[in-house]
Amino acid sequence: MQSSAGTEPDKRAYLDVVGVGKAFKGTSVMSDMDFRVARGELVSLLGPSGCGKTTLLRIIAGLTSADAGDILLDGRAITRVPAHRRNISVVFQSYALFPHLTVAENVAFGLRARSVPKSEIAPKVNEALQLVRMRDFADRPVSALSGGQQQRVAVARALVVDPVLLLLDEPFSALDRKLRETMQVELKSLLRDRDMTAIFVTHDQEEAMGVSDRIAVMNAGKIEQFATPSELYARPKSAFVMDFVGLSTRLRGQVQKTDGSVMQIETANGLVLAKGALGVGSDVTVGVRPELISPGAGENTISVTLADAMVLGAKTQLHGMSHTDDRLLCEVPGIQTALTRGQDVTFGWSVKDTLVYEAHR
Amino acid sequence: MRRLEHIGLLALPGLTFLAVIFALPLLMLLLKSFQIDGQFSLEEYRLFFSDDYNMSVLWRTLRVAALTTLLALLIAYPTAIAMSRANGIWLSIFLVAMVLPMSVGVVVKAFAWSIIFRTRGVLNDMLMSLGVIDAPIRMLFTETALIIGAANVFLPFMVLPIYAVLRQMDSRLPEAAASLGAAPVFRFFNVTLPLSLPGVVAGCAFVFSLAVSMYVIPSLIVGERQQTLSMLTARSFLYLRNEALGATISSILLIIAISVVLGSSWLANRLGARQ
Repeated sequence: MQSSAGTEPDKRAYLDVVGVGKAFKGTSVMSDMDFRVARGELVSLLGPSGCGKTTLLRIIAGLTSADAGDILLDGRAITRVPAHRRNISVVFQSYALFPHLTVAENVAFGLRARSVPKSEIAPKVNEALQLVRMRDFADRPVSALSGGQQQRVAVARALVVDPVLLLLDEPFSALDRKLRETMQVELKSLLRDRDMTAIFVTHDQEEAMGVSDRIAVMNAGKIEQFATPSELYARPKSAFVMDFVGLSTRLRGQVQKTDGSVMQIETANGLVLAKGALGVGSDVTVGVRPELISPGAGENTISVTLADAMVLGAKTQLHGMSHTDDRLLCEVPGIQTALTRGQDVTFGWSVKDTLVYEAHR
Repeated sequence: MRRLEHIGLLALPGLTFLAVIFALPLLMLLLKSFQIDGQFSLEEYRLFFSDDYNMSVLWRTLRVAALTTLLALLIAYPTAIAMSRANGIWLSIFLVAMVLPMSVGVVVKAFAWSIIFRTRGVLNDMLMSLGVIDAPIRMLFTETALIIGAANVFLPFMVLPIYAVLRQMDSRLPEAAASLGAAPVFRFFNVTLPLSLPGVVAGCAFVFSLAVSMYVIPSLIVGERQQTLSMLTARSFLYLRNEALGATISSILLIIAISVVLGSSWLANRLGARQ
């Protein structure tokens, strides 16, 4: 796996968001936001609604002005440059196709706005429509298109102007699940082929993991962690990231004893060992990815009464009963029909797979 | 099908009312204009169109209506844009400012204009004290005064349909245009304006129909000097006792109104078909 952490010094930032702050009517949505993207990178801003991801996207596009900070693109400050001179294309959640224009006229819009000579517009529009396999629809009104077709037109319209950066605001959320997955694969390879730098905004972690080289997980106007999908999944920096990216067994507990680098944590389901050096008495959240747990004993073992065993095809999910906001979840490969609700089982996993975070009060 | 029939029943009282009170007298008026001594004849129309004075009144009426519509449109469009972007208290202020004057009688408004425009009126006094003019200029009883006054009275009928269309417009569209490199002027002429045309057509149809048939405003602002079709109609019925002429002019006004309605709905359909 290639390493592309934001702090790596040899990779020059292409987009550099420095100390950006924004408040709406006195309520701060983000402050001191730093965010760097390398040339050709596909990056996602992932977070729950209201976390500021769309605001950050709009600030980069120039559709919303920042109260503080700077935005640099390829070393040039664009903070005060109006949206129409940034050459940053945006694909909106609703696609925002112009309803009074045909498919071809929609794609031609950006070229006309740039006063490209008429003789050059037609071939470029043709090529862009070819790219998204929509050439047969060139003369249709956009209202006659399905959701997936509209998205393709929106992508063609955004790419035909050769933008320096492509921003996509929840581009797949209006599509049904199957089509969404197809379009993700299609769009990703299209952007790769053109070496396009793109930022996706999404609240869907699967989508973010599927389309991006790196994901910035945002919460309450802050980036909690900015890393590759596998890094986010395996080593989430906070309980929030662990919860937002992927599923996990999640237990509340308190550190009882520390023994060098291993802590003994008391939870409602028994004692759990984890690596770390938090002080005795600290309230913590313990997490384990469900596929790292197996029924039976391990270095850590808890007793669980099954609430449900969900057969999902390639795997079976075992849900344990919990009377608190603890979550007990284990995934076993294949179809397991022997386990049913009400059965007492044990979940076991290794100490090294135990994630532990100091709980915020 | 059955449901449609039930809905038809609900419309029955209204339809009956309109048929008896409105359509029937209108039909009788129309018939009267095509009759001389109980015989079908186009003579009344030939007489009307061959009279230079009548023709001058017809052209003045159409010209005043067209210019009133144009003036109202020029004032209303920016207002509608401002309203479509306003929120909260500002939107309320705008709406009240649009709707409240409609509850003031048109006679009151026309009188207000005559106070402003008359020889020793507010406007002349102001212009003289500013030194723009030395002696009062005649403003009342001019076509210009009529157009300004009429545009003022009919303004809400232009603003509201345009505002309604702009308000409905997806605010992402101008943003998408901007992100595609369109400067504000290009955005306006290629996105906002074309998408607001149905509202513009509706507003123009309203204002033109009202302006072509207005009676009280020209009576009070220009008086008898410069007649319009409505004033001529009233004069034929009330003073000349020439019912045939009155019926003929009424029918011409009706035909103009119907043309405007049909023309504008055709235009709106054409514009709407592409959206």
